[in-house]
Formats: sequence, structure tokens, C-alpha cells
Amino acid sequence: MAKRPSRLKSTRANSLPALLGAIKPRLFAFLLDWASWGYVAYAVMFLINRYWFVRYVNFYGTLTLPIWGWPLVVLSTLELVVLGHAFGHSIGLSLFGLRLLTHSHRFPRTQDRISRYLWWHAAVLLLPVSLWRSGRECLLLHDVRSKTYMVPLAEVKDELPVTKPRPWYLTNRGLMTVALIGLTFWVGWLATQINLERLFSRAPKSAYLWKALVTPDFEHLAMPDPELKDSIMGGMLESIFMALLATIFGGLIAFPLSFLGARNIMGFSPLGWLIYTLARAFFNIFRSIESILWAVVFAVWVGFGPFAGVLALTIHTIAALGKLYSEQVESIDPGPLEAIAATGARRWQVVLYGVIPQIIPSYLAFSLYRWDINVRMSTVIALVGGGGIGRILFYYKGQVGRLSNAWNQVGAVVFAIVAVVWLLDYISGRVREKII
Amino acid sequence: MADHLVVEHLTKVYKRGDVLALDDISFSVKKGEFLVLIGLSGSGKSTLLRCINRLIEPTAGKVYFDGIDVTAASSKDLRHLRRRMAMIFQQFNLVKRSSVLTNVLSGRLGYVNPWLSAAHQFPHPEIKMAMANLERVGIPEQAYKRADELSGGQQQRVGIARALMQAPELLMADEPVSALDPATSHSVMRYLELMNREDGVTVIASLHFLSLARRYGTRILALKDGKIVYEGLPSEIDEARFKKIYGEEAEQVEVH
Repeated sequence: MAKRPSRLKSTRANSLPALLGAIKPRLFAFLLDWASWGYVAYAVMFLINRYWFVRYVNFYGTLTLPIWGWPLVVLSTLELVVLGHAFGHSIGLSLFGLRLLTHSHRFPRTQDRISRYLWWHAAVLLLPVSLWRSGRECLLLHDVRSKTYMVPLAEVKDELPVTKPRPWYLTNRGLMTVALIGLTFWVGWLATQINLERLFSRAPKSAYLWKALVTPDFEHLAMPDPELKDSIMGGMLESIFMALLATIFGGLIAFPLSFLGARNIMGFSPLGWLIYTLARAFFNIFRSIESILWAVVFAVWVGFGPFAGVLALTIHTIAALGKLYSEQVESIDPGPLEAIAATGARRWQVVLYGVIPQIIPSYLAFSLYRWDINVRMSTVIALVGGGGIGRILFYYKGQVGRLSNAWNQVGAVVFAIVAVVWLLDYISGRVREKII
Repeated sequence: MADHLVVEHLTKVYKRGDVLALDDISFSVKKGEFLVLIGLSGSGKSTLLRCINRLIEPTAGKVYFDGIDVTAASSKDLRHLRRRMAMIFQQFNLVKRSSVLTNVLSGRLGYVNPWLSAAHQFPHPEIKMAMANLERVGIPEQAYKRADELSGGQQQRVGIARALMQAPELLMADEPVSALDPATSHSVMRYLELMNREDGVTVIASLHFLSLARRYGTRILALKDGKIVYEGLPSEIDEARFKKIYGEEAEQVEVH
């Protein structure tokens, strides 16, 4: 067999960025695999705790580790990762596109793999030294000694021999994936206290509730309830107006912000990048805070009622529409912008004449869709004093036990919500069809 | 006659992928010339045209328009220079959802009162001028239609009308007829010829077909891999020169 030459371009690392660039996928793959083994360790501990007698228990009666247990877990998971990397192809390696090959880009033999596994321990102990000594391809001590290294798969795709893939139960990542999914399902089942027996055996007990909900009592549909001083239709109108005003305010504020969060408008200057990042961060942070939390804040600020609800919905609408709008701005056809810039127009004239005509229809469509969402959201924010139809819903829910037909009244409110949401969805769908 | 446009050592390197799109290009264009750029796709024709009005920022080199250094112009001066050099595009680059009239009027944005334009208002003379230019390219009846309702040839004529709004001294056409069929191509090219002959507008057009270049160009500049490989009269391009520009395997295709 002809000896194949080494494919390494290796020279000494010429710069820190080059070194970091080479080491990044390896480090990330390593950390990902370590984290997944750590997760397996946690899941196993959870299950031991649940099913078997444990000697080391803490104050809450759950398993804890003795003082020597934590290093043991850390070290054993570490060893498992390294074993997985030396003898198989782990999830992390395949996600980051790395493959263990010899220096001449062959598949390593078993003795190479054993040597790699053993030398790894020396390499990690001498990590600073071996990092310093590593070349441009970031060859650490064990890479050099075992004549194997992690090759970015994209670089060697064409020269690798075609091999028949092994069945999943014989590969590291196949087994690991199945184990992770299985453990997650098992632990998740226990952690969320899923109880199918109870779901079925207690079904008859909820029958009266179902019966009441499907035989709604529309007594106070239009006629105000004397105690509540409001009717279902009144509450519904309040909700629709809340949602409408929140959508209009939110859309008007999101409109200018969306240009700040669009890459193609802000350009690539440092200032543009900063504004873009800030705008995107604002959208993401404010969008991830549910409007019910905003309603809590505004109920304290301006008092209970629909005004607090409008403010809460507005904040969430700004963030959600801002993100959708700016993605829309990013996907426009750049041709007209170029053409208008070429006529000697100012930058804002380019936006006004080139960008806005392209985005108006989708802006309207998104805003209509958002109105629909806001109506649905407005039912929930009543829980914390946001006003609207939700107030009526939770009022009748609170009368269970006092009024004999409380659930029937709740049913009426639910029917009203379904009808309105359905109608809005239908209208906004038709309008969207028309303008896009 | 004085040189209308002078390009000196123009070089463009695209950072992404380290592509050398233009490699030390120098040439000049006289007033009233109809210069045709030819070359394969990716030879740098579009980049060259866009570097002249700095839609793309050149990496090195100078562009002088009427003796003014375009490459060193401030953003305000650049806007004033761009008003004088109009451009039309392969994909027409109209705002599809706006009306034809608005598209034509947008060619005037560099001239009109910016506050008025912010309110989407144009003075009456500009609107009359837009209608006159639509008349000139033969589609006055389409003024109030949406731009995307027009056929390709009509859309390119709107592009020409938009360019006419600038009352340009130089017209750059980036493959103006590549997206059109042969018959429409000639009608669009004839409008460019008309601007060149009647209004004395200097034209630089990049074209795919040599037959079109021969028919309309007064001079030809051939690019290959970002370098000028031929400069001269259209009639002087023989078989050998053709192979040099388009490669050994190319065949001449005629467009009538």
C-alpha cells in the first residue's frame, strides 16, 4: 500500500483569531456532548431518586451526592465524552461537521483511537502548553501523538471513501439520541405528574361542566347583569376596542422602529450596526415578556381597567409587529432602491419612494392579524385587572357555587369569544387576500 | 471634444470571497458617444457602471464626470452628480406597487422640494413633464396603471421615462434589453439611440448581443475578468477578437 502523504498545512498559529477559529467547532462540539452526558447524569439521578432507596438524602428527602460524588460525576461524564469522540461519532461532532481522521485523511485504526484516548489525558493536563504549541490547524498534543485529528467535514467530503452507514443502534450518536429522547420523555412524564388513570376515571365528574358549557345561558348577552353592571356584548366591545387601539398604537410606533431593525436599511457602519442590534434586542426582550405581565405592571401604574389592558397589549404589539415588520423590510426587492438612489434622491426619499410602497400591504396584513391576536389576549389579561370580556368571564367563573347557572353563563361568554375571534379571523383573512 | 467621463485605474475588490471584479480599468468617453460594454456574465460590466455613480463604492481609482471627481464627492455633491447621470436597469427596477406616473416622477426626486416630496406631492410642471416623457416613450395611456401591470418592454420604457425626468447628460444602461424579446429589444434600444442623437446624451450601455452592439454603438469596450480586452470600433470586431472576448467555444448569435 502506497504511503499517503500527510494533508496537514500545519504551520505555527499565526494569530489568535486563526487559533480561535480553528478551535471553536471542536470546543463547541465538546461542550455540547459534555452537556448531554451531564443531562443523562441528571436524569439518572432523578430516576434513582424516584424508584429506589437512596442513602444520601438532603433536607427535602431527595438524593444528594456525597462530597466525593460531584467530582465523580464531572470526571465520569468527561471520560464518556472523550471515549465517544475517540471511538465513535458523537452528536456534537456531527452537528459541528467534524470527523476524526488520520493525518493522511484515512479512517483511523483501533490502535490510533486508543492512543488518542490515552494521550488526551496528557493533552488536557498540559492544555496551555499544547495550545501554545498547536499549529494553524490547532493540533494539540493528542492530535499529534495519535496521528489523528478532527477534520472539518466540508473540507474532505470529496476524498472520503463511500461507506455504508451503520444502523443507528450501532452508532454513538444514534444510541445517544435515542437515550436522550427516551430519558427526556421518562423524566418529563414524572416531573409533570402525568396521570392517565385520573384523566379517565374522573371524566364523569366533569360531565356537568361540559353540559353547562354547551347549554349556554345568554340571559346577559345584551342585558347588563345588575351585579356586574355590564353585559357580555359590552365586555366584548370593550375587548375589541382595547385590541383595536393597542394594534393602532403599537403599529404606529412599530412602523418607524422597524426600519431601525432592518439590516438593509441600517447598513454596515458601526453606528448602523449598533442601532440595528439595539432595535432587535428591544423587540426580542419585550416580545418574550407576555402581555399578562405587562398588565400587572400597568394595573399598578394606572389602576385596574381596560386602560391598563390597552397599554399592556400595546407594548407587546410594538415588539411583535416591530419584529415582523423589520423582517418584511429586509425581504424587499433592492432593485427599486438602487434605481431611486441613482436619480440623486436623498436616503430618506429612497425609503419613502422605494421601501414603503413595497411594505405597506404586508404591514396592513400583519396588523390585521395582530388585532385578531390582541382580542384573544385581552381575555387573559383580565385575570390581573386588564378589563374587557375576560373580566366578565372570570366574574361568572367566580360565581360558581353561588349561582346555579354560573357555568352556563361562562359558556355564553366562551361562545361570544369564539364567535368574535372567528369573525375577525375571517375578515382579516379576506382582507389579506385582497391586498397581498 | 472634451472627455465627458474619465475613468482612471478603477479597481473593485468584493470583500466577500476576495473577488477582483474590476482590475485597473481606465478609459474615457467623449460627449455624445454611444459606448457599448460587452463581455460575458460576471466580466464586471454591471460593477463598472455602478462604480461610476458609486452605487457600488470602488476600492481604488478615480472617476471624473465633466472634470469633477466623482469618487471624492461628498454625499451632497454625489447627489447632484447623480442627477446628471441617469441609469436604467436589466430588471427595470420599478416600484411595482406604485403607479407608472409615480415611478416616472421619482426620477425627479433629486430636483424637487424635499418637503413637498415627503408629502408625495409634485409641482404641476413636474407632472406635465412626466406626462410628456411618457408620451415620448409612447405609453401616455398607462400613466395611472400600477407598474407591474405593464409588459416587460413597457416597464423598461417607464424606466427610460424615469431617466428622462433627470434631464441627464449621461445615461448608463445596465443590460437594458436582456430581459426582453428581440423585437421589444430593438424598440427600447431605439429610444436610447434617440436620446443619444436628439438630446445629445452620452450613453454607456452594457449589452449581451454583439449584433445589438454593432447596430447601436459608436464605440465598443469589451471586458473579461474585470479587465479591458478590447477597445475600438464595432466594425473591427472579427472572429479572432470575438473569441478573445467570449472564449474559444463561443458562437455568434444574431438578434434581428
